[in-house]
Amino acid sequence: MHKTADSLPLQRRRGVIGDLLTFRGRAPPFVEIVIGLLAAALLIGIWEIAARAGLIAPQFLPSPSRVVQALWRMLTAEGLLWHAGVSTLRVWIAFLLAAAMAIPIGILMSSYRIVGAALEPTIDFIRYLPVPALVPLSIIWFGVGENTKIFLLWLGTFFQLVLLVADDMRRVPQEYVEIAFTLGAKPRRVLTDVALRAMGPSLVDNLRITLGWCWTYLIIAEIVAADSGLGFVIWSARRYVKTPEVMAGVVAIGIIGLITDQLLRILHRRMFRYL
Amino acid sequence: MTSTFLSFDRVSKSFGTVPVVRETSLTIASKSLVVFLGPSGCGKTTLMRMAGGLDMPSSGTIRLEGIPVSGPGRRTGMVFQSYSSFPWLTVAENIAFGMRYRNDLSHDERVRRVTQYLKLMGLEDFASSYPSRISGGMRQRVAIARTLAAGSDVLLMDEPFGSLDALTREKLQVELRQIQVREEKTIVFVTHDVEEAVFLADRIIMLSARPAKIVSDIDVGSVLGGNRPLDIRESEVFFKLRNEVLHLVRREAGQAT
Repeated sequence: MHKTADSLPLQRRRGVIGDLLTFRGRAPPFVEIVIGLLAAALLIGIWEIAARAGLIAPQFLPSPSRVVQALWRMLTAEGLLWHAGVSTLRVWIAFLLAAAMAIPIGILMSSYRIVGAALEPTIDFIRYLPVPALVPLSIIWFGVGENTKIFLLWLGTFFQLVLLVADDMRRVPQEYVEIAFTLGAKPRRVLTDVALRAMGPSLVDNLRITLGWCWTYLIIAEIVAADSGLGFVIWSARRYVKTPEVMAGVVAIGIIGLITDQLLRILHRRMFRYL
Repeated sequence: MTSTFLSFDRVSKSFGTVPVVRETSLTIASKSLVVFLGPSGCGKTTLMRMAGGLDMPSSGTIRLEGIPVSGPGRRTGMVFQSYSSFPWLTVAENIAFGMRYRNDLSHDERVRRVTQYLKLMGLEDFASSYPSRISGGMRQRVAIARTLAAGSDVLLMDEPFGSLDALTREKLQVELRQIQVREEKTIVFVTHDVEEAVFLADRIIMLSARPAKIVSDIDVGSVLGGNRPLDIRESEVFFKLRNEVLHLVRREAGQAT
Protein backbone atom coordinates (compact mmCIF):
# COMPACT_ATOMS: atom_id res chain seq x y z
CA MET A 1 0.00 0.00 0.00
CA HIS A 2 1.25 3.47 -0.88
CA LYS A 3 1.95 5.92 1.86
CA THR A 4 -0.11 9.09 1.64
CA ALA A 5 1.52 12.48 2.11
CA ASP A 6 -0.05 12.75 5.56
CA SER A 7 1.58 9.52 6.74
CA LEU A 8 5.11 10.53 5.76
CA PRO A 9 7.16 11.42 8.86
CA LEU A 10 8.29 14.84 7.62
CA GLN A 11 4.85 15.90 6.47
CA ARG A 12 2.82 14.74 9.47
CA ARG A 13 0.70 17.47 11.05
CA ARG A 14 2.49 18.60 14.19
CA GLY A 15 0.70 21.70 15.38
CA VAL A 16 2.33 25.01 16.29
CA ILE A 17 4.35 23.64 19.23
CA GLY A 18 5.59 20.74 17.09
CA ASP A 19 6.60 23.16 14.33
CA LEU A 20 8.51 25.29 16.80
CA LEU A 21 10.43 22.32 18.16
CA THR A 22 11.17 20.75 14.77
CA PHE A 23 14.65 21.06 13.32
CA ARG A 24 14.44 23.92 10.75
CA GLY A 25 10.69 24.05 11.28
CA ARG A 26 8.50 27.04 10.45
CA ALA A 27 6.01 28.95 12.54
CA PRO A 28 3.48 31.71 11.73
CA PRO A 29 4.96 35.24 12.11
CA PHE A 30 2.38 36.11 14.78
CA VAL A 31 3.50 33.16 16.92
CA GLU A 32 7.14 34.23 16.55
CA ILE A 33 6.28 37.79 17.67
CA VAL A 34 4.43 36.44 20.72
CA ILE A 35 7.38 34.19 21.61
CA GLY A 36 9.78 37.13 21.26
CA LEU A 37 7.64 39.30 23.55
CA LEU A 38 7.23 36.48 26.10
CA ALA A 39 10.98 35.83 26.18
CA ALA A 40 11.69 39.55 26.71
CA ALA A 41 8.99 39.71 29.42
CA LEU A 42 10.49 36.67 31.14
CA LEU A 43 13.98 38.20 31.12
CA ILE A 44 12.70 41.52 32.45
CA GLY A 45 10.62 39.65 35.07
CA ILE A 46 13.66 37.72 36.33
CA TRP A 47 15.67 40.94 36.36
CA GLU A 48 12.92 42.76 38.33
CA ILE A 49 12.63 39.96 40.89
CA ALA A 50 16.41 39.72 41.31
CA ALA A 51 16.68 43.49 41.80
CA ARG A 52 13.79 43.67 44.28
CA ALA A 53 15.15 40.72 46.24
CA GLY A 54 18.41 42.63 46.62
CA LEU A 55 20.44 40.05 44.71
CA ILE A 56 21.99 42.82 42.61
CA ALA A 57 23.15 46.18 43.99
CA PRO A 58 20.92 48.92 42.42
CA GLN A 59 23.90 51.15 41.61
CA PHE A 60 25.16 48.39 39.30
CA LEU A 61 21.88 47.15 37.87
CA PRO A 62 18.70 49.02 38.81
CA SER A 63 15.37 47.21 38.44
CA PRO A 64 13.50 47.57 35.12
CA SER A 65 10.75 49.52 36.91
CA ARG A 66 13.30 52.13 38.07
CA VAL A 67 14.72 52.33 34.56
CA VAL A 68 11.20 52.94 33.19
CA GLN A 69 10.59 55.62 35.85
CA ALA A 70 13.87 57.30 34.89
CA LEU A 71 13.00 57.06 31.21
CA TRP A 72 9.59 58.70 31.81
CA ARG A 73 11.11 61.48 33.90
CA MET A 74 13.80 62.14 31.27
CA LEU A 75 11.15 62.18 28.55
CA THR A 76 8.76 64.54 30.32
CA ALA A 77 11.13 66.83 32.24
CA GLU A 78 14.67 66.52 30.91
CA GLY A 79 14.26 66.83 27.14
CA LEU A 80 15.20 63.26 26.27
CA LEU A 81 13.25 63.52 22.99
CA TRP A 82 15.29 66.54 21.95
CA HIS A 83 18.54 64.71 22.74
CA ALA A 84 17.26 61.68 20.80
CA GLY A 85 16.44 63.97 17.86
CA VAL A 86 19.94 65.48 17.88
CA SER A 87 21.55 62.03 17.97
CA THR A 88 19.28 60.73 15.21
CA LEU A 89 20.17 63.71 13.03
CA ARG A 90 23.91 63.19 13.60
CA VAL A 91 23.65 59.49 12.85
CA TRP A 92 21.66 60.05 9.65
CA ILE A 93 23.93 62.82 8.36
CA ALA A 94 27.02 60.66 8.92
CA PHE A 95 25.31 57.57 7.55
CA LEU A 96 24.04 59.30 4.40
CA LEU A 97 27.49 60.80 3.80
CA ALA A 98 29.07 57.37 4.22
CA ALA A 99 26.48 55.73 1.93
CA ALA A 100 26.77 58.46 -0.73
CA MET A 101 30.53 57.87 -0.86
CA ALA A 102 30.65 54.12 -0.27
CA ILE A 103 28.09 53.12 -2.93
CA PRO A 104 29.87 54.60 -5.97
CA ILE A 105 33.34 53.74 -4.66
CA GLY A 106 32.31 50.16 -3.81
CA ILE A 107 30.74 49.72 -7.24
CA LEU A 108 33.85 51.06 -8.97
CA MET A 109 36.09 48.84 -6.84
CA SER A 110 34.41 45.66 -8.03
CA SER A 111 33.75 46.87 -11.58
CA TYR A 112 37.25 48.06 -12.44
CA ARG A 113 40.20 46.12 -11.07
CA ILE A 114 42.43 49.20 -11.13
CA VAL A 115 40.18 50.91 -8.56
CA GLY A 116 39.84 47.73 -6.49
CA ALA A 117 43.57 47.04 -6.50
CA ALA A 118 44.34 50.65 -5.59
CA LEU A 119 41.86 51.04 -2.73
CA GLU A 120 41.40 47.63 -1.12
CA PRO A 121 44.66 47.51 0.91
CA THR A 122 44.15 51.04 2.30
CA ILE A 123 40.49 50.45 3.14
CA ASP A 124 41.30 47.11 4.76
CA PHE A 125 43.96 48.81 6.88
CA ILE A 126 41.73 51.65 8.06
CA ARG A 127 38.79 49.30 8.62
CA TYR A 128 40.68 47.56 11.39
CA LEU A 129 41.63 50.76 13.24
CA PRO A 130 39.53 51.21 16.38
CA VAL A 131 37.44 54.38 16.11
CA PRO A 132 38.18 55.48 19.74
CA ALA A 133 41.89 55.52 18.87
CA LEU A 134 41.17 58.18 16.25
CA VAL A 135 39.30 60.54 18.61
CA PRO A 136 42.41 62.62 19.45
CA LEU A 137 43.31 62.94 15.76
CA SER A 138 39.77 63.92 14.80
CA ILE A 139 39.80 66.66 17.48
CA ILE A 140 43.09 67.98 16.06
CA TRP A 141 41.64 67.94 12.55
CA PHE A 142 38.09 69.13 13.16
CA GLY A 143 38.06 70.71 16.63
CA VAL A 144 35.38 69.84 19.16
CA GLY A 145 32.29 70.86 17.18
CA GLU A 146 29.76 68.92 15.13
CA ASN A 147 32.31 68.02 12.46
CA THR A 148 34.23 65.73 14.78
CA LYS A 149 31.07 63.89 15.83
CA ILE A 150 29.94 63.41 12.22
CA PHE A 151 33.47 62.37 11.23
CA LEU A 152 33.69 59.70 13.93
CA LEU A 153 30.27 58.29 13.00
CA TRP A 154 31.22 58.37 9.31
CA LEU A 155 34.53 56.68 10.09
CA GLY A 156 32.81 53.78 11.83
CA THR A 157 30.46 53.25 8.88
CA PHE A 158 32.14 54.18 5.59
CA PHE A 159 35.01 51.68 5.53
CA GLN A 160 32.76 48.77 6.45
CA LEU A 161 30.06 49.78 3.98
CA VAL A 162 32.37 50.30 1.01
CA LEU A 163 33.59 46.71 1.19
CA LEU A 164 30.04 45.38 1.61
CA VAL A 165 28.92 47.34 -1.46
CA ALA A 166 31.89 46.03 -3.46
CA ASP A 167 30.91 42.53 -2.40
CA ASP A 168 27.25 43.09 -3.37
CA MET A 169 28.37 44.20 -6.81
CA ARG A 170 30.72 41.24 -7.14
CA ARG A 171 27.85 38.85 -6.40
CA VAL A 172 25.69 40.06 -9.29
CA PRO A 173 25.48 36.93 -11.46
CA GLN A 174 27.72 37.21 -14.50
CA GLU A 175 24.88 35.76 -16.57
CA TYR A 176 22.78 38.92 -16.05
CA VAL A 177 25.65 41.09 -17.22
CA GLU A 178 26.35 38.91 -20.24
CA ILE A 179 22.68 38.72 -21.22
CA ALA A 180 22.56 42.52 -21.28
CA PHE A 181 25.74 42.77 -23.34
CA THR A 182 24.42 40.28 -25.89
CA LEU A 183 21.22 42.31 -26.16
CA GLY A 184 23.23 45.34 -27.18
CA ALA A 185 23.71 47.18 -23.86
CA LYS A 186 26.81 49.33 -23.32
CA PRO A 187 28.73 49.08 -20.00
CA ARG A 188 27.07 52.17 -18.45
CA ARG A 189 23.60 50.78 -19.21
CA VAL A 190 24.61 47.35 -17.92
CA LEU A 191 25.52 49.07 -14.66
CA THR A 192 22.28 51.04 -14.35
CA ASP A 193 19.83 48.61 -15.93
CA VAL A 194 21.20 45.35 -14.58
CA ALA A 195 23.92 45.49 -11.93
CA LEU A 196 22.32 48.14 -9.72
CA ARG A 197 18.92 46.46 -10.00
CA ALA A 198 20.37 43.01 -9.25
CA MET A 199 22.34 44.20 -6.22
CA GLY A 200 19.44 46.32 -4.90
CA PRO A 201 18.07 43.89 -2.28
CA SER A 202 21.44 43.07 -0.73
CA LEU A 203 22.53 46.72 -0.90
CA VAL A 204 19.48 47.91 1.04
CA ASP A 205 20.03 45.08 3.53
CA ASN A 206 23.64 46.14 4.04
CA LEU A 207 22.62 49.79 4.42
CA ARG A 208 20.20 48.71 7.14
CA ILE A 209 22.93 46.75 8.94
CA THR A 210 25.52 49.52 8.71
CA LEU A 211 23.02 52.10 9.95
CA GLY A 212 22.86 49.94 13.08
CA TRP A 213 26.65 50.00 13.31
CA CYS A 214 26.58 53.79 12.99
CA TRP A 215 24.44 53.97 16.15
CA THR A 216 27.00 51.87 18.03
CA TYR A 217 29.60 54.65 17.54
CA LEU A 218 27.25 57.31 18.90
CA ILE A 219 28.56 57.24 22.47
CA ILE A 220 32.15 57.65 21.30
CA ALA A 221 31.13 60.54 19.05
CA GLU A 222 29.03 62.28 21.71
CA ILE A 223 31.50 62.15 24.58
CA VAL A 224 33.76 64.55 22.67
CA ALA A 225 32.87 67.93 24.23
CA ALA A 226 29.17 67.41 23.56
CA ASP A 227 26.30 69.19 25.27
CA SER A 228 23.52 67.32 23.52
CA GLY A 229 22.57 63.88 22.25
CA LEU A 230 21.91 60.53 23.85
CA GLY A 231 25.63 59.82 24.17
CA PHE A 232 26.02 63.03 26.16
CA VAL A 233 23.00 62.10 28.36
CA ILE A 234 24.43 58.65 29.10
CA TRP A 235 27.93 59.96 29.72
CA SER A 236 26.70 62.73 32.04
CA ALA A 237 24.57 60.29 34.05
CA ARG A 238 27.55 57.95 34.40
CA ARG A 239 29.58 60.75 35.99
CA TYR A 240 27.09 60.89 38.91
CA VAL A 241 26.54 57.11 39.00
CA LYS A 242 22.90 57.60 37.96
CA THR A 243 22.62 54.05 36.71
CA PRO A 244 18.84 54.15 35.97
CA GLU A 245 19.41 57.22 33.73
CA VAL A 246 22.34 55.51 32.02
CA MET A 247 20.19 52.48 31.32
CA ALA A 248 17.26 54.66 30.21
CA GLY A 249 19.56 56.31 27.65
CA VAL A 250 20.70 52.91 26.43
CA VAL A 251 17.08 51.73 26.20
CA ALA A 252 16.21 54.87 24.19
CA ILE A 253 18.95 54.03 21.67
CA GLY A 254 17.66 50.45 21.51
CA ILE A 255 14.10 51.63 20.85
CA ILE A 256 15.18 54.04 18.10
CA GLY A 257 17.30 51.28 16.55
CA LEU A 258 14.44 48.79 16.69
CA ILE A 259 11.96 51.21 15.09
CA THR A 260 14.43 52.27 12.37
CA ASP A 261 15.27 48.66 11.61
CA GLN A 262 11.62 47.66 11.30
CA LEU A 263 10.88 50.65 9.04
CA LEU A 264 13.79 49.73 6.78
CA ARG A 265 12.61 46.12 6.67
CA ILE A 266 9.16 47.31 5.54
CA LEU A 267 10.83 49.54 2.94
CA HIS A 268 12.88 46.55 1.73
CA ARG A 269 9.74 44.42 1.35
CA ARG A 270 7.98 47.19 -0.58
CA MET A 271 10.92 47.97 -2.83
CA PHE A 272 11.58 44.34 -3.70
CA ARG A 273 8.13 42.81 -3.97
CA TYR A 274 9.39 40.41 -6.62
CA LEU A 275 11.56 38.44 -4.18
CA MET B 1 20.22 26.78 -50.50
CA THR B 2 21.29 28.34 -47.19
CA SER B 3 24.45 30.43 -46.94
CA THR B 4 27.29 30.44 -44.43
CA PHE B 5 26.26 32.63 -41.55
CA LEU B 6 28.70 31.94 -38.76
CA SER B 7 32.20 30.68 -39.36
CA PHE B 8 35.06 29.54 -37.15
CA ASP B 9 38.45 29.73 -38.83
CA ARG B 10 41.23 27.80 -37.04
CA VAL B 11 39.98 28.96 -33.68
CA SER B 12 41.97 28.07 -30.57
CA LYS B 13 41.49 29.14 -26.99
CA SER B 14 43.62 28.69 -23.90
CA PHE B 15 42.98 29.82 -20.35
CA GLY B 16 46.47 30.54 -19.05
CA THR B 17 48.48 27.50 -20.00
CA VAL B 18 45.44 25.24 -20.29
CA PRO B 19 44.31 24.69 -23.91
CA VAL B 20 40.50 24.49 -24.12
CA VAL B 21 39.76 24.67 -27.85
CA ARG B 22 42.24 23.53 -30.51
CA GLU B 23 42.37 24.74 -34.13
CA THR B 24 38.65 24.43 -34.82
CA SER B 25 37.24 25.36 -38.18
CA LEU B 26 33.53 25.22 -38.83
CA THR B 27 30.83 26.93 -40.87
CA ILE B 28 27.23 27.22 -39.76
CA ALA B 29 24.46 27.89 -42.27
CA SER B 30 21.81 30.51 -41.58
CA LYS B 31 18.44 29.31 -40.27
CA SER B 32 19.93 26.05 -39.02
CA LEU B 33 20.00 24.56 -35.55
CA VAL B 34 23.47 23.32 -34.72
CA VAL B 35 24.18 21.44 -31.52
CA PHE B 36 27.62 21.33 -29.90
CA LEU B 37 27.80 17.97 -28.17
CA GLY B 38 30.62 16.56 -26.12
CA PRO B 39 31.67 15.30 -22.71
CA SER B 40 31.40 17.64 -19.72
CA GLY B 41 34.20 20.22 -19.58
CA CYS B 42 35.32 19.60 -23.14
CA GLY B 43 35.15 23.25 -24.19
CA LYS B 44 31.82 23.37 -26.04
CA THR B 45 30.55 26.29 -23.96
CA THR B 46 33.82 28.19 -24.56
CA LEU B 47 33.39 27.66 -28.28
CA MET B 48 29.87 29.06 -28.12
CA ARG B 49 30.87 31.98 -25.87
CA MET B 50 33.49 32.95 -28.44
CA ALA B 51 30.77 33.01 -31.09
CA GLY B 52 28.87 35.44 -28.86
CA GLY B 53 31.92 37.63 -28.32
CA LEU B 54 31.93 36.89 -24.59
CA ASP B 55 35.36 35.26 -24.83
CA MET B 56 37.94 36.08 -27.48
CA PRO B 57 39.89 33.37 -29.30
CA SER B 58 43.60 33.05 -28.49
CA SER B 59 44.11 32.55 -32.22
CA GLY B 60 41.91 32.27 -35.29
CA THR B 61 38.84 34.26 -36.25
CA ILE B 62 35.10 33.91 -35.83
CA ARG B 63 32.96 35.72 -38.38
CA LEU B 64 29.28 36.53 -38.42
CA GLU B 65 28.19 37.12 -42.02
CA GLY B 66 31.83 37.72 -42.89
CA ILE B 67 32.44 40.31 -40.17
CA PRO B 68 34.87 39.27 -37.39
CA VAL B 69 33.19 38.97 -33.99
CA SER B 70 35.04 41.42 -31.76
CA GLY B 71 32.75 41.54 -28.73
CA PRO B 72 29.21 40.88 -27.54
CA GLY B 73 26.35 42.57 -29.33
CA ARG B 74 22.67 42.38 -30.17
CA ARG B 75 23.09 40.05 -33.13
CA THR B 76 24.09 37.13 -30.90
CA GLY B 77 21.70 36.66 -27.97
CA MET B 78 22.52 34.31 -25.12
CA VAL B 79 20.16 32.04 -23.21
CA PHE B 80 21.67 30.49 -20.07
CA GLN B 81 20.60 27.58 -17.92
CA SER B 82 20.37 29.64 -14.73
CA TYR B 83 19.75 33.34 -14.05
CA SER B 84 18.07 33.39 -17.45
CA SER B 85 15.49 36.07 -16.65
CA PHE B 86 15.78 39.26 -14.60
CA PRO B 87 13.89 38.74 -11.33
CA TRP B 88 13.04 42.45 -10.84
CA LEU B 89 11.15 42.66 -14.14
CA THR B 90 7.79 41.13 -14.98
CA VAL B 91 7.52 38.60 -17.79
CA ALA B 92 6.43 41.33 -20.26
CA GLU B 93 9.18 43.70 -19.09
CA ASN B 94 11.75 40.91 -19.44
CA ILE B 95 10.65 40.30 -23.02
CA ALA B 96 10.83 44.02 -23.76
CA PHE B 97 14.22 44.40 -22.07
CA GLY B 98 16.49 44.03 -25.09
CA MET B 99 14.46 46.46 -27.18
CA ARG B 100 15.41 49.38 -24.94
CA TYR B 101 18.80 49.35 -26.64
CA ARG B 102 17.29 49.78 -30.08
CA ASN B 103 16.54 53.27 -31.27
CA ASP B 104 15.00 52.04 -34.50
CA LEU B 105 11.87 50.58 -32.88
CA SER B 106 8.85 52.74 -32.13
CA HIS B 107 6.92 52.35 -28.91
CA ASP B 108 4.04 50.71 -30.82
CA GLU B 109 6.43 48.25 -32.44
CA ARG B 110 7.86 47.32 -29.06
CA VAL B 111 4.41 46.71 -27.63
CA ARG B 112 3.48 44.68 -30.69
CA ARG B 113 6.57 42.50 -30.34
CA VAL B 114 6.00 41.90 -26.63
CA THR B 115 2.40 40.86 -27.37
CA GLN B 116 3.55 38.67 -30.26
CA TYR B 117 6.17 36.80 -28.23
CA LEU B 118 3.98 36.50 -25.15
CA LYS B 119 1.49 34.72 -27.41
CA LEU B 120 4.11 32.65 -29.24
CA MET B 121 5.48 31.37 -25.94
CA GLY B 122 2.08 30.85 -24.32
CA LEU B 123 2.84 33.42 -21.64
CA GLU B 124 -0.10 35.83 -22.13
CA ASP B 125 -1.62 34.96 -18.77
CA PHE B 126 1.66 35.61 -16.97
CA ALA B 127 2.59 38.94 -18.60
CA SER B 128 2.56 40.81 -15.30
CA SER B 129 4.01 38.00 -13.18
CA TYR B 130 7.53 38.11 -11.82
CA PRO B 131 9.92 35.24 -12.69
CA SER B 132 9.87 34.01 -9.08
CA ARG B 133 6.13 33.27 -9.49
CA ILE B 134 6.42 31.15 -12.64
CA SER B 135 7.89 27.73 -13.37
CA GLY B 136 11.45 27.03 -14.54
CA GLY B 137 10.18 26.11 -18.00
CA MET B 138 8.31 29.40 -18.30
CA ARG B 139 11.41 31.31 -17.22
CA GLN B 140 13.34 29.72 -20.10
CA ARG B 141 10.51 30.64 -22.48
CA VAL B 142 10.81 34.23 -21.25
CA ALA B 143 14.55 34.19 -21.98
CA ILE B 144 14.00 32.86 -25.50
CA ALA B 145 11.23 35.39 -26.13
CA ARG B 146 13.45 38.25 -24.90
CA THR B 147 16.22 37.28 -27.31
CA LEU B 148 13.79 36.92 -30.24
CA ALA B 149 12.04 40.21 -29.45
CA ALA B 150 15.37 42.05 -29.34
CA GLY B 151 15.94 40.87 -32.91
CA SER B 152 19.02 38.72 -32.35
CA ASP B 153 20.05 36.88 -35.50
CA VAL B 154 21.68 34.00 -33.65
CA LEU B 155 20.47 32.38 -30.46
CA LEU B 156 23.32 30.96 -28.41
CA MET B 157 21.83 28.53 -25.91
CA ASP B 158 24.02 27.10 -23.16
CA GLU B 159 22.26 24.00 -21.81
CA PRO B 160 19.09 26.07 -21.38
CA PHE B 161 16.89 23.10 -20.45
CA GLY B 162 19.46 21.41 -18.21
CA SER B 163 17.72 22.13 -14.93
CA LEU B 164 14.17 21.31 -16.05
CA ASP B 165 12.17 18.18 -15.39
CA ALA B 166 11.95 15.60 -18.19
CA LEU B 167 8.43 16.45 -19.38
CA THR B 168 8.95 20.22 -19.45
CA ARG B 169 12.22 19.66 -21.19
CA GLU B 170 10.58 17.57 -23.94
CA LYS B 171 7.86 20.17 -24.39
CA LEU B 172 10.37 23.00 -24.72
CA GLN B 173 12.46 21.00 -27.18
CA VAL B 174 9.43 20.59 -29.44
CA GLU B 175 8.60 24.29 -29.07
CA LEU B 176 12.17 25.35 -29.84
CA ARG B 177 12.15 23.37 -33.10
CA GLN B 178 8.86 24.99 -34.08
CA ILE B 179 10.09 28.48 -33.17
CA GLN B 180 13.32 28.00 -35.08
CA VAL B 181 11.40 27.05 -38.22
CA ARG B 182 8.77 29.78 -37.80
CA GLU B 183 11.18 32.59 -36.90
CA GLU B 184 13.89 31.39 -39.29
CA LYS B 185 16.63 31.86 -36.71
CA THR B 186 20.10 30.39 -36.52
CA ILE B 187 20.53 28.57 -33.24
CA VAL B 188 23.68 27.22 -31.64
CA PHE B 189 22.75 24.91 -28.80
CA VAL B 190 25.14 23.41 -26.27
CA THR B 191 24.23 20.22 -24.46
CA HIS B 192 25.73 17.00 -23.18
CA ASP B 193 22.40 15.19 -23.48
CA VAL B 194 22.54 12.92 -26.52
CA GLU B 195 18.78 12.48 -26.92
CA GLU B 196 18.23 16.23 -26.73
CA ALA B 197 20.98 16.80 -29.29
CA VAL B 198 19.57 14.29 -31.77
CA PHE B 199 16.00 15.56 -31.38
CA LEU B 200 16.88 19.24 -31.79
CA ALA B 201 19.74 19.33 -34.26
CA ASP B 202 19.87 19.87 -37.96
CA ARG B 203 23.52 19.16 -37.41
CA ILE B 204 25.51 17.84 -34.46
CA ILE B 205 29.08 18.99 -34.02
CA MET B 206 30.65 16.30 -31.89
CA LEU B 207 33.58 17.63 -29.87
CA SER B 208 36.48 15.71 -28.38
CA ALA B 209 37.49 15.75 -24.74
CA ARG B 210 39.42 18.92 -23.80
CA PRO B 211 41.01 20.57 -25.70
CA ALA B 212 37.94 20.54 -27.93
CA LYS B 213 38.30 19.71 -31.57
CA ILE B 214 35.65 18.47 -33.96
CA VAL B 215 35.62 14.69 -34.10
CA SER B 216 32.41 14.27 -36.04
CA ASP B 217 29.95 16.41 -38.00
CA ILE B 218 26.61 14.60 -38.12
CA ASP B 219 23.91 15.71 -40.56
CA VAL B 220 20.81 14.91 -38.51
CA GLY B 221 18.48 16.93 -40.73
CA SER B 222 18.94 14.62 -43.72
CA VAL B 223 18.09 11.61 -41.54
CA LEU B 224 15.21 12.92 -39.41
CA GLY B 225 13.93 15.74 -41.63
CA GLY B 226 12.89 19.18 -40.44
CA ASN B 227 9.55 18.29 -38.89
CA ARG B 228 10.10 16.67 -35.48
CA PRO B 229 6.96 15.54 -33.68
CA LEU B 230 7.54 14.26 -30.17
CA ASP B 231 6.89 10.63 -31.17
CA ILE B 232 9.84 10.67 -33.56
CA ARG B 233 11.84 9.70 -30.47
CA GLU B 234 10.16 6.29 -30.59
CA SER B 235 11.04 5.67 -34.24
CA GLU B 236 13.70 3.19 -35.24
CA VAL B 237 15.67 5.74 -37.22
CA PHE B 238 15.87 8.08 -34.20
CA PHE B 239 16.83 5.21 -31.93
CA LYS B 240 19.59 4.10 -34.29
CA LEU B 241 21.01 7.61 -34.70
CA ARG B 242 20.88 8.23 -30.96
CA ASN B 243 22.87 5.03 -30.34
CA GLU B 244 25.49 5.99 -32.89
CA VAL B 245 25.95 9.42 -31.30
CA LEU B 246 25.94 7.92 -27.83
CA HIS B 247 28.69 5.54 -28.88
CA LEU B 248 30.80 8.50 -30.04
CA VAL B 249 30.19 10.41 -26.82
CA ARG B 250 31.15 7.38 -24.72
CA ARG B 251 34.33 7.01 -26.68
CA GLU B 252 35.25 10.65 -26.10
CA ALA B 253 34.21 10.58 -22.45
CA GLY B 254 36.37 7.48 -22.00
CA GLN B 255 39.35 9.38 -23.33
CA ALA B 256 38.61 12.26 -20.98
CA THR B 257 38.80 10.10 -17.84
